[in-house]
Amino acid sequence: METEEPEVTHLKRTTIEEEEEVLRRLLVPEDPLSLPLSPPSAVETNFGSYFAADFMKPGHDQYIYRHANGLCVVGLAPTHVAFAEEGGVKSVDFNVGKSDRSEMKVTGKHKRNARVLEPNSALCKVITKDNSYVVRCCVKGTLLEVNGRLIKQPELLNSSADREGYIAIIMPKPADSLKIKDGFLNREDYKKLKGLP
Amino acid sequence: MASESTEHPPPPRTEEEEEARIISAAARSLPRDAVRELLSVGVCVRCIFRLFGVRGPIYSCSSLSTSVLCSVFEDDSGTERIGSPINGVVHSPCVIQDPHKDQLFCGVCLGILQFAYDQEQAISSCKKESHMNGFTASIAELVKREGHQIDGFSLEISIPPVILANERAIRLYMKRKYESETWFHEKLVNEHISVKDALKLSIIHSLENHLAIKCGVESFRIRLTYSHSKASLKLQNFSAKDSACKKRKTEYNGPGANGSHMSTGNGGSEPSFSESDAAICRTLQGLEDQVFAELFPMPPEKVSEPCHLNCNCCRMPIYICGRYMKYSRKVSQTCWMVDGERIGEASVEEIIGSNVLPVCKGDSYKFHAAGREDIDVRMLGSGRPFLVEVLNARISPSLSDIQAIADKINNSENHYVEVKNLKIVDSQVWTLMREGEAEKQKQYAALVWISRPLEETDLQKISSIKELDILQNTPIRVLHRRSPMERKRMIHWMETERITGSCQYFLLHLCTQAGTYIKEFVHGDLGRTQPNIGTILGCRAEIVQLDVTDVKMDSFD
Repeated sequence: METEEPEVTHLKRTTIEEEEEVLRRLLVPEDPLSLPLSPPSAVETNFGSYFAADFMKPGHDQYIYRHANGLCVVGLAPTHVAFAEEGGVKSVDFNVGKSDRSEMKVTGKHKRNARVLEPNSALCKVITKDNSYVVRCCVKGTLLEVNGRLIKQPELLNSSADREGYIAIIMPKPADSLKIKDGFLNREDYKKLKGLP
Repeated sequence: MASESTEHPPPPRTEEEEEARIISAAARSLPRDAVRELLSVGVCVRCIFRLFGVRGPIYSCSSLSTSVLCSVFEDDSGTERIGSPINGVVHSPCVIQDPHKDQLFCGVCLGILQFAYDQEQAISSCKKESHMNGFTASIAELVKREGHQIDGFSLEISIPPVILANERAIRLYMKRKYESETWFHEKLVNEHISVKDALKLSIIHSLENHLAIKCGVESFRIRLTYSHSKASLKLQNFSAKDSACKKRKTEYNGPGANGSHMSTGNGGSEPSFSESDAAICRTLQGLEDQVFAELFPMPPEKVSEPCHLNCNCCRMPIYICGRYMKYSRKVSQTCWMVDGERIGEASVEEIIGSNVLPVCKGDSYKFHAAGREDIDVRMLGSGRPFLVEVLNARISPSLSDIQAIADKINNSENHYVEVKNLKIVDSQVWTLMREGEAEKQKQYAALVWISRPLEETDLQKISSIKELDILQNTPIRVLHRRSPMERKRMIHWMETERITGSCQYFLLHLCTQAGTYIKEFVHGDLGRTQPNIGTILGCRAEIVQLDVTDVKMDSFD
């Protein structure tokens, strides 16, 4: 009995070590060289990209990223006229329409207090050195949130309009969300239209 | 003779003799005229005993029958015949067993205590007064046919509420007739024995013998559900008339009875009965004796059809718990269907359930787990605690059965899922798991890419972070079905591990509070999780793959 005891603990230790070895082998990529130089981003993986070029006015180019769950992230496309101006976007004003878009508080699974917007409804104004431009909804749906960080950090629009600089998240009805594919340009057509590489 | 045998019971007595003694003793304790009256209006022998509150072994006497009771009285009174036409009764209860006459069943218990029943699933439907042993034998046969491996049973009986009305009618009838008698207050006012209890007293012993197991508080239940659509409909009509008669008290056998009969629905639908059972009982209780007597025929009428009997048996759920590992990024935790199409190749739930169910021979199973991972996330290392609830298992699996289940899952061809620490547990583990789910820490390993080469200072920075509070807005990927809100979560610690041959990829090991969205903590979810790996390292971060490596929960180790 007494001689067996240390043996048992020894056995246990090897199993734990073995288990850790098995786990490591599973976690570490088998062939690190086969990993892409830069992997597709979370936005590229999870969203379909669509573009509204010259939406209501020339140079008012916006993107609509449609998530598989139907939600849409709306923001400024790289060719938006505001970025061409000196210094780009200087500030963002969500006080458009009847209420301040950044003040509304949507709550609960059923998104109480959310406003239903039309494609031409205004989300905010982006203000440059000399001009201001109205950013629109582009899709009909419920406004879930606007990117309130843009009020304090408008430069996010100049640095990463396609990520942290998004404007708003909209929840269209399922049928409306499916129509987005046909209603807007895909990335390829958008690039062609705007002469991007 | 009777008194002699009670004082000196000779030990070697046959069962028949013993029963005869019990029956005659019990019969002689009852007022003879009243018993004759009850017999003449068609009340069965066991109902008579229970209405007088007689207790004890009398009910389980298999030889107890109307004719036996009659003969006890005949022995005592010589030539006098009970229920003879002189008493004004045409259908004497003593000839009720004449097979050529139409059977009429006890107007109180509707044949239940005569062991008569109408049963779809029965070996032979028994529409006449039958012998107790035959009745219990056919129940036992049904139970055996279900193939349950059992070491005890409990018995549940459900009777139609019309029987309560019948009981009240017969008691009221007796009260009006015999209230002045001296025995009345002593015997009939006492608590009577319910049909349920009388039936249990009658059949349990015999059922135990047929099944060769004991009755008690067991996880295996035999349930006898009696219903009588005709009588119940009548009762519904009576109580419907009660509301009508508040306006005008008129004849209760009028044409209105038939009209409402039709509108009450197509007699057979039993759920509608059971739903209104409670309501009917309430209405009955609310009626004054006077009103009740006007509505309800007294004494209750004999019936030509016995109750419908549904006999089913079922075992309380058994629970098998353990931990599972998921090695595939194409297998979901539970069966995931979108528009009738399966997402992924299989599910942990089905892989485990389909191996557990045939061994336990259950009707179905339910799968519960302590938390979940996305379909593209593997569950490695410790595995995740889970619980399979098997409903109506015929077999209580042995240790070797459990081992066989584990072996089969672990050696399956696809090798999507493995299980460990598989064991049988009681239902308490369920609450343990739910409690643990919310509180415990989880460990993950993420393959992360950053937009610039990884530096030594990055590694130090990450590993120096302890107990970091983060704020997560509901991730966009679940925002369509979850409430939009900001959640505070904690990152307990993080460690990095370089990957040989790559300068922008690394393994991030992290331990977080349950409920943290890891993918969003890495890529930032458009800045909606703050801080995130990108803001901590001052660059863009992406998550290439994620695995759960440890779910802590002591009760599953």
